[in-house]
Order: sequence, then structure tokens, then C-alpha cells
Amino acid sequence: MVQNHHRGCHRQDHHGTVGENKEKRPKFFINDHVDILIEILKRLDCRSLCVAASVCRLWCTIARYDSLWENLCFRHVSPPPSSVRSVVLALGGYKRLYMGCVRPVRSRLGRIRKASWARDEVQLSLSLFCVDYYERLGGGGNSNGRLVGESSPSSLRFLCKPVNV
Amino acid sequence: MKRNHREISGTTDYSCGSGSRADSSSIGNCIKEKLWEEDHDAGGMDELLAVLGYKVRSSDMADVAQKLEMLEMVMGIAQEDGISHLSSDTVHYNPSDLSGWVQSMLTELNGPPTPNLDPVLVNSDPTSSNPQHQKQNQSRVFNDDSEYDLRAIPGVAAYPPSNSEPDSESTRKRVKTSMSSSGSDGYGSDSFFPSPQENGIPGAVTEFSTRPVVLIDSQETGVRLVHTLMASAEAVQQDNLKLADALVKHIGLLAASQTGAMRKVATYFAEALARRIYRIFPQDSLDPSYTDILLMHFYETCPYLKFAHFTANQAILEAFATANRVHVIDFGLKQGMQWPALMQALALRPGGPPAFRLTGIGPPHPGNTDALQQVGWKLAQLAETIGIEFEFRGFVVNSLADMEAEMLEIRPLEVEVVAVNSVFELHRLLARPGWLDKVVSSIKAMKPKILTVVEQEANHNGPIFLDRFTEALHFYSSLFDSLEGSGVTPSSQDLAMSELYLGRQICNVVACEGMDRVERHEPLTQWRTRMETAGFSPVHLGSNAYKQANMLLALFAGGDGYRVEENNGCLTLGWHTRPLIATSAWRLGTTESGL
Repeated sequence: MVQNHHRGCHRQDHHGTVGENKEKRPKFFINDHVDILIEILKRLDCRSLCVAASVCRLWCTIARYDSLWENLCFRHVSPPPSSVRSVVLALGGYKRLYMGCVRPVRSRLGRIRKASWARDEVQLSLSLFCVDYYERLGGGGNSNGRLVGESSPSSLRFLCKPVNV
Repeated sequence: MKRNHREISGTTDYSCGSGSRADSSSIGNCIKEKLWEEDHDAGGMDELLAVLGYKVRSSDMADVAQKLEMLEMVMGIAQEDGISHLSSDTVHYNPSDLSGWVQSMLTELNGPPTPNLDPVLVNSDPTSSNPQHQKQNQSRVFNDDSEYDLRAIPGVAAYPPSNSEPDSESTRKRVKTSMSSSGSDGYGSDSFFPSPQENGIPGAVTEFSTRPVVLIDSQETGVRLVHTLMASAEAVQQDNLKLADALVKHIGLLAASQTGAMRKVATYFAEALARRIYRIFPQDSLDPSYTDILLMHFYETCPYLKFAHFTANQAILEAFATANRVHVIDFGLKQGMQWPALMQALALRPGGPPAFRLTGIGPPHPGNTDALQQVGWKLAQLAETIGIEFEFRGFVVNSLADMEAEMLEIRPLEVEVVAVNSVFELHRLLARPGWLDKVVSSIKAMKPKILTVVEQEANHNGPIFLDRFTEALHFYSSLFDSLEGSGVTPSSQDLAMSELYLGRQICNVVACEGMDRVERHEPLTQWRTRMETAGFSPVHLGSNAYKQANMLLALFAGGDGYRVEENNGCLTLGWHTRPLIATSAWRLGTTESGL
């Protein structure tokens, strides 16, 4: 993708000075076609998406669109449940869901995964995500459940730890 | 020494006519003196005694001789009983260390001959673990490190007037031999002691005729630790508090040589035993917010609570499948960590979310803080975020038995479907007779569609203390092992808090009695019987719950150790082969109303 972009630029440079017939042919600069860009980026995996986010400002902005992450989350799940979107967005968005829950869940379960578990993985991730949101809610107001000085809710901490595989 | 001893005796005999006050006046004494001088000149006895540090006047020689004779006898007996296997049995001692040990023995004999050299003390069993004989000594209070066989070895010479010395000596000994081969204290504690009898004669001691010496590998301190724990509990069971106390102190020492889970478990159990012995009962009614903090850390570090919540939620979800208004009654709301997941699942239910009503029951908090309302408020925020109609009510009661079904304002069945949830709460009701029945009848009055019960899978409510102790030891050892053994390394603070949470339970199981002992865990089979006699029939937790539980556990890096098992429709979570908590679901057996 990145190379295409460069090539696009190159061609522009190179062909900018060529004759008028070249001007008739539309020059394809991907950044002019954001919808196509989005469609392409939607199909990336997480790592590539993060790499793409460091290409340029436009790509960075696009990589943050939640719909991209939604596709990542539900990639292996046949039709994503419809009401999920509003819930997830309210709880913090798909990117957070993916980075916080889905990705660790998928990677940890990787070794024992069965095909039928994909949906359950998502459901489990959603539950954990909700618990995490709930804990984040409590950070300021609830002094009972948290020690003084402890800032981040940690019910998902077990997902963040390095796994001894 | 022996040579000189003979000489001394010879001299004594020789001068016996003149008595112990040897004056230089009589001929015998002259001869004696000469002998003395001879010896002295020859670098014999007197010098030897001087080497040992004795500054003995010739006039006291006979006395000294007599005492040395006794000392020899002590040594002789000691050799038969305790020391011989030290010198000859190389399994226990490193021979190269033996010389050092013998050397220290000799230096200990440096103390001036004291009147403590009684014939009575000759009988002291150097390998005795009886604390009482040490207590009998003249005007001394021994600290009874009675397991300390080593301490009695110096025997007589350990009783010089200074109080602190024997302790330090034995400390030194203890350390030394434990460095060489920790098998040294093996001959003490691994056999179960016959109960020692109190002797009226000061200094006299019951001789343990049978002291099976078990040869133990030095790595087996863990086994020894367990044995000492068991012996201590047995002593408590037999109401032999002195012995129990001595053993408990020894546990502390043995535990120090361990690492990891065993050490912590042993320490907690030793503390609980000590509390039981001294009758210093811990305050059970600690600030609930403190226990909540401990609980939160426990929630975060290990999967037990998460497992409990997820499996119970799954059962409740399935029971609520078609309802439009649902009401959950939580017997122990605490921080409400169970409900976000259920609310999320309800929100995403195909067909739309029902109206969700939650009644939370909790203990009173000191001060004005209304903890239940705060939790309810948080849950309400969450409900608004995810789009569920939410209603919350909190009830503060001292115990579940104080609660009446009418207080909860249960709405009729057509309007609202009720679920009752109890996570680690029902066992507390067993502390008082009649409470459980009262609560069960309240539950029945609520007409729940489902009752979910999560309890520890252990038998900590037997009538005999020793059995409870043994069970608790195994249970909490597994639990602590799982905390250590899972690959996840929580921060040390988290781990410490979780362990403290469990430690309080241990304390309650071991140290408290009667109404204070609230941690009355019972195994699943017993709960099943109770529920069934109360009129409930079991609801099988489905494969969804099983799958979810397995997935949840796989997320924990120590997932290999945790096991989810299905047990007649109930799910248990355990560590390796030992089930630790069990989730079960029940509905009212009389189903004419189609519940």
C-alpha cells in the first residue's frame, strides 16, 4: 500500500511534465479517494493497520475510524449482531474493544481455538469490555473499591500480562 | 579427659579420709598435693581444667571431681539417647561438621560448676521435645523451643545462670546444623508425640521411650512442616495447649526454610492456630470496605470470582430468555462486579433488552457511606450507557436471616421474573441453627425462576476440629498454589492482598468457633442434599456456560493448571485435580405454576 502511494507520487512527478494526453487520464492518488482507502484499510489486520496509521496524517485519521476496528473485531464472526454497535460505541468504541479485549483473547486462545468459538470469543470480549467500562466508571467516585492512589481499573489486567507460552 | 577423670577419682578416693576440705595438713593431703603438683607440673589435670576455663582451687577438687563424674554420666547417657546417632549416624550429620559441633559442646562446658549439676538432671532426655522439663529448671523460664532437640543436648551445661545463653547457644546450634544438613531436626518432629505428662519433680522428665527416628531427606522440610502443622492441630484437638504452642513456634521456623505458597500457607495456619491457642480471636466485623478492597484484589488476580460470576450469569441469562422485565436479587452485592456482564448480555439479547431491576443486599458499613447506593449508581450509569432500563434497590442487613421477602417488594410473576444469586454467602448462615432454613423459606417466598449458588468446594464444617484443619490445609494449599503457579505475575501488592483475603478466611476456619466461625464451607454434595430437601430441583448449567468458563480460564496464563469440570449439571473450577469452587443452579421443585 505504501509503495503504491509512493508510486502514485512518482508518477505524478514524472508524468506531470508529459504532454496533454496525460492530463486526460485521471491520475490516481489514493488520498483523493478516501472511500476506497477506507475499504482497503478495512481489510487489513491489526498490525498492518497500525503501520498504516503512521504513513501520513490522513491515513492516521482514517485508521482511527471505529468502523475499521469493528470489522477487525467481527472479522471471523458471521453477521455481527446489530445492536452491538451502539453498545460498543457507548462503552468506548471498537478500537478500545479490540485492543483491550478481542486481541488478547484471540491471541491467548490461539493455541486451543476451535472454529466454533469465534462468536463466543467476541461475546466474552464484550463482557470483559463491559466490566472494564464499569470499573473505569468507578475510578473517581468510588473510594470503597479502590485503594488510594490506584488509578487504573485492573479487571482486564490479566489480559495485558505477558503470557508464558 | 577420662584419664584425668580417673586420676581425679583416684585422688578423691585417696583423700576421702580427709574429706572434701583438703588441707595441706594431713599426709594424705600432702600426697594429694604432691599429686596435684605433679599433675600441675606435668601439665595434667589442673592445666586441663584451666584450659577448659575452670579455675579450681585444690580445695574444691573433690567437689569438682564429683561433678565432673556426673557430667560424664550425663554425657554417657546423652550419648546413648541423643548424641550417639549424631556421631554415628552419618545420615543426619556431616562428619566434618561433627567436630565443630563437639567443639562447641566442649566450650559450653566451660561454665563453672554450678549446683545445677543434680543427679536428677542426668535423666534429662536430650532429645526430648517436652517443653515442660525445660520449664522445670530452677528459677528459669525456658522459652520452649521444645522441638529443639538440639537444645537439650548440651543438657546440663546449658543451664548456667545466664538466661540468654542457652537460647543463643541453641540458636547457634540450630543454625549450624541446619546449614550442614537440615536433617538434623528430622529426628524430632516427625513422629507424633505421646502426650507428655506433668512431673512433680523439678527437672525430672518423662523419657520418651519410643522415639522413632525417621530418616528424612533434607529436602523434605515441606513434609515436616505439614507434619508439624498436623501435630499442632492434633495437640489443640486434645486440648494440650502447651505442646501445641511449642509446635506452632516451630512451624514458624520450618516455614522460614520454605519458599512460595507453602510458606505462606504455613504462616497463615500457624497464626490461626496461635490465635486459637491464645484465644485472641480476630475481629470478624472488620470494616466491610476493607474486606471489599481485599476482595477486589482477589477478583483481579485469579479467576475464581470471574468464573463464579460468568457461570451464574449464564444460568440467569438462560432463565431470563423470554422475559420482558427481570429482577435479580443479589445476596452479597459488594462491588457489583457480577452485573455489568449480565447487563451487557441482556442488552445484546436478540429481541432487545428487558427492563432490569437489581436488588442488592449488603452488610452495614460504618460511617455514613452508603456503599450500596454508590454501587447502584454506578450500575445505573452503565445501564444508561448501554441502553437498558434499570432500577436499583439496596438493602442493608446485618445478616441474610434478617431479611424478609416482603421487604423486597417482589412484583407478581406475570410482571417480573425473579432470579436469586448467592456467591459465597449461604455458608455463613450455617453458623447459627435455623438461619439457613429461614433464608431458604424467604427465597421460596420470592418465587424465583432460578437460584444460583456459588460455594467453596470443601468440607470445613465438620464437628471435629482436626478434620476441619486437615481439610482446610489441603484446600488453601491448593488455592495458594494456584495463585503462585499461574503464569500471570500480578503485582506483589495484588498478590499480597489476595493472600490476605484468603488468610482471613483461614483464620476464621481455624481460630473461631460458634457463631464467629462463619466460613463454614460445605461440599457440593451436601449443598445438593440441602437444596433438594428444601424443595429445589437442579437446573443444569448448559454447554454454553461450560464453554465460556473454559475460554475464560484459557485467558489466564496459568490456564493449564485450572480445570473446569462438570459435575451432574454443576460446574466446578479447580486447580489441577482439586475442585475448589462450585456453581450450581436451582429452581423451585413444585412447578404447577409453570415456573
